[in-house]
Amino acid sequence: MSIDLTFIAQIIVFVTMVMLLWKLLYGPMNDLMEARSRKIAEGLAAAEAGLEARAEAEAEVARQLDDARAKAHEIIASAEKRAAEINEEAVTRARKEAEGIVDAAREEVNAEVQRARQELRQEVASIALLAAEKVIESDLDAAKHGKLIDGIVEKGFGAA
Amino acid sequence: MAEQGHSGGIAEHLQYWTVSFDDSNPFMQLHLDTMLLTLMIATGLVVFAAWLRGRLVEGAPTGVQNFMESLIDFINQTVNDNFPVKNPLIAPLALTIFVFILLCNTLDILPAYLLHHVSALFGLEHFRQVPTNDLNLPVAMALSVFILVLYYEFKLKPVHFCKELLLQPFAALLLDSKNPVVKLLGVLLIPLNLILKLIEELAKPLSLSFRLFGNMFAGEVIFLLIASLLLADQLQDVLSVGGVISEFAGLLVGLGWSLFHLFIGLLQAFIFMILSVVYLSIAHQPAEH
Repeated sequence: MSIDLTFIAQIIVFVTMVMLLWKLLYGPMNDLMEARSRKIAEGLAAAEAGLEARAEAEAEVARQLDDARAKAHEIIASAEKRAAEINEEAVTRARKEAEGIVDAAREEVNAEVQRARQELRQEVASIALLAAEKVIESDLDAAKHGKLIDGIVEKGFGAA
Repeated sequence: MAEQGHSGGIAEHLQYWTVSFDDSNPFMQLHLDTMLLTLMIATGLVVFAAWLRGRLVEGAPTGVQNFMESLIDFINQTVNDNFPVKNPLIAPLALTIFVFILLCNTLDILPAYLLHHVSALFGLEHFRQVPTNDLNLPVAMALSVFILVLYYEFKLKPVHFCKELLLQPFAALLLDSKNPVVKLLGVLLIPLNLILKLIEELAKPLSLSFRLFGNMFAGEVIFLLIASLLLADQLQDVLSVGGVISEFAGLLVGLGWSLFHLFIGLLQAFIFMILSVVYLSIAHQPAEH
């Protein structure tokens, strides 16, 4: 249990070992670990940046979707409005046309009725004249009595 | 663990295998057992380092590399927690101290007389199996660390260190006084301060080395005690009830002490490392004023 030359030799062994282990073991491993840590940190940063970019892109997509949706709503609303207008116009036009057709038809009917009434009157007058001829067996002067008969017929059909 | 078949007293087993260059001078001798074992451990470590260096992979580490990376990470963390500045030497130094002392200490769990008997086969009278039981090794390491501490003290803050060496703790207070008598007293106290400070500084490597040496030496003595008190010397001693009980008790106690001593070896290696780091970190602390 004494200090002797072993002490000097142990200092040499120890210092040599520190140097060798530094160069052979600690140095390379520490460099490797630092490089790996750096790589992992970079990877994490890149992943973080990627996530941020994705979030931004998603936000952009959502914003554009909202815009598009709003625009679509606008377009639909204006289209509906236009359609309603067109519809309204069509209905109005159709109603006018229908009214025109009805009016024309009514006029035609009236004219037809008028004509039919005229024909009927003439026919009745001739029948009456014929009948009167037969009844009285006298020659009625068509020119003379026609007027009278027409007046009667007119009176008779006037209410019709 | 303690082992059977021993002879002679404990003191005889605490002798070193020594070669003397000058019989009149006790300093001029070499403990060949300590040298042989430390050189074997050191060579093993260097070979291991060189082997591992060729197998390092950049990606996810496995096996031995993983274990060593965990160890280096632990050392790095210990050093970074204590150091105010970055010094590339400290971590490799701490790693070497920890691994080397741990391996030396772990030799103690070999059976107490094993290497002694193996060496006897080669005609050697004495062989100590744990290099850290040789005071030369702990003192050599502690002194290396201490020299490094002094180097950094003088390199980083020479004025502050000299002032501390000469003026702390008394003189600095007394020299500030306006009273000339007190001032003179302060000057007279400088040698006392120097002595106190030197003792304080020298206590660091001394306690560092003796702590390790004392723990490991006591551990070995207890192993030898267990072996010599409880284990039989010859085969016919075992062939009795008392002999069997004693043998069994010896093995049990030896096993218990082995496990405990293994832990102590780890603890002492860690303490030596952490104290070295702390002493060096104190030397790196910036001067307070």
